[in-house]
Amino acid sequence: MSTVDIELRKVRKVYFKDRLEIPVLEGLDLTIAAGEFVVLMGPSGSGKSTLLHLIGGLDSATGGSVRVGDAHLEKMSERERTAWRSRHVGFIFQMYHLVPVLTAAQNVELPLLLFSMSSSQRKERVRTALEVVGLSDRADHRPNQLSGGQEQRVAIARAIVTDPDVILADEPTGDLDAKTSEEILELLNLLNSEFGKTILMVTHDPRAASHGQRTVHLDKGVLDREELNPARPRGAAAMVS
Amino acid sequence: MALPLTYHWRNLFVRKTTTVLTVLVITSVVSVFAYMLGFSESLQHSLSVARDPHKLIVLKSGATAESNSAIPVDEYNKLSQVTNVARDEATGQVLVSPEMMVQVSLPRLRDGGRTNANVAVRGVTLDAFRIHPNIRPLGRIFSTAEREVIVGLAAAQQFAGLQIGDTINLGYGADRAYKVVGHFSADGGPMESEIWGYLPSLMNSYNRTMYSSANLRLADGSDARQIIGQIEGPAIQLAAQTEEEYWESQSRLMKVYLFVAYLLVAIMSLAAVFAIANTMFSVVAGRSRELAMLRTIGFSSAQILLGLVIEAVMLALVGGMLGCVACWAWLQAVGNTKDMFGATTFTTMAFKIQMTPLLIAKALGLVVVVGVIGALVPALRAARMQVVTALREP
Repeated sequence: MSTVDIELRKVRKVYFKDRLEIPVLEGLDLTIAAGEFVVLMGPSGSGKSTLLHLIGGLDSATGGSVRVGDAHLEKMSERERTAWRSRHVGFIFQMYHLVPVLTAAQNVELPLLLFSMSSSQRKERVRTALEVVGLSDRADHRPNQLSGGQEQRVAIARAIVTDPDVILADEPTGDLDAKTSEEILELLNLLNSEFGKTILMVTHDPRAASHGQRTVHLDKGVLDREELNPARPRGAAAMVS
Repeated sequence: MALPLTYHWRNLFVRKTTTVLTVLVITSVVSVFAYMLGFSESLQHSLSVARDPHKLIVLKSGATAESNSAIPVDEYNKLSQVTNVARDEATGQVLVSPEMMVQVSLPRLRDGGRTNANVAVRGVTLDAFRIHPNIRPLGRIFSTAEREVIVGLAAAQQFAGLQIGDTINLGYGADRAYKVVGHFSADGGPMESEIWGYLPSLMNSYNRTMYSSANLRLADGSDARQIIGQIEGPAIQLAAQTEEEYWESQSRLMKVYLFVAYLLVAIMSLAAVFAIANTMFSVVAGRSRELAMLRTIGFSSAQILLGLVIEAVMLALVGGMLGCVACWAWLQAVGNTKDMFGATTFTTMAFKIQMTPLLIAKALGLVVVVGVIGALVPALRAARMQVVTALREP
């Protein structure tokens, strides 16, 4: 079970375009407890995806601190963050980002290529991940032979195959119909409740948000408000500081 | 661990048109390169065979080649005074091979006889086989009593009418039919492109009274410069050079041809580099989100760079292998024996272009270099891409 919590303190992120300063996050504080399923909502440009990228170590904050478990990301180089990311974070994207020329199993195997692991060990991990997402029978299919929902399941299998502490999902149901979205969200719930993964999901869809234990609303780069979901209570402390 | 090769290989087929065009460019470069390399290596081989440091070629003073040299017999006889050269063990006389060289125009086999080439005809005595130990008759040699010749293997493969039993016309007058009675090998050296006959007979047929050259061998441990000094000195007044120096000067024009050919290959290789760079730029642009995803899941910039270079090298190797096949097919179709005109000898030197494993390795080595150079800039760009920006691309 994952025991990694996330803590952001006075996080600032500023982009520069044509020497113009564009602030995206302005002194954000946020704490996510280990094993919590948090939903990030807010209008476009509110900084949701940027926050996700900072927590995933894809980008570095302009100011403040980002801690994920023991990792102080603001003190790490890009190379260190890349290596850390491969072991501790699983990403799920709206457009799945599967490699079209590889089969489902080969797509899922990709992150494991960065580990010292035998081919048989990798295959076993891939088989388990595909089983978790219910796609064992599609292992040899290429992305263009799968439905959108199946593609997203493969992407989820890819995200969990390394057994990461944290799963970051950027609008994972944004390109799916309602029924398939529900299936994907149930799968995320399963990863959270059964496997203890800490999940941070960006969405615009209130129905998707109802699957989280807590919804955090961002607006103009600051925390606007947060709501606990009474339908999905969580035992461990989860708080906004 | 790097990305799997399957990933790179399959990606080559995603952009079929670009891939095919790039492969075609590389195929053409490599086929020309392999051909030129084969030609160059054959030439180098021929010249390396003709580099006997113990053999001296004597010409008339002022002559640049055997074809424009004429040594009167009395001047030739003075060579018997030369010291420190090999001598006949039985007679103690200086071992020297007087030779006469003329040309005969013969049809080329490779174009069905539509064009002719000047082939060297060398009149020699039997001592010539002692002076030129790399000449190995295959079968019998010419008779001193009949009009007979033996033909170098390269000449026999390249020109018409030089098979055993064939008859060729040499010289002037009515009785000029010479029968081909044998072939000879010269380890692939320039003499393998020649026709050899008995010196007095050929001199008679060509109404010659002077020799073209005289060849002699150095005695063990003697200094070539010292002997050349004797030959060029006031007592003899002929010109001499080692065989190596002689053929080096004869092949100067060939080297110019080769230089121009390699320049062409270099320019074509540059075009191939641009073709690969163009392809890889389009690969990077078309797969930026995919590459960003790979960075996201933990692949490093260096691994992405290496992956793209591997992909480009694979592309180049496909073109390279096809280029080698194209070159081989071309040689099969038109024949792998070629000839080249000597600048000063006015005769043709025949080569056999071989697709050796070393030549193939060199051609593939070129495409690997082309692939790496072509991929470098686009791969660096991909490795330095802003992952977050690329993930958001439509």
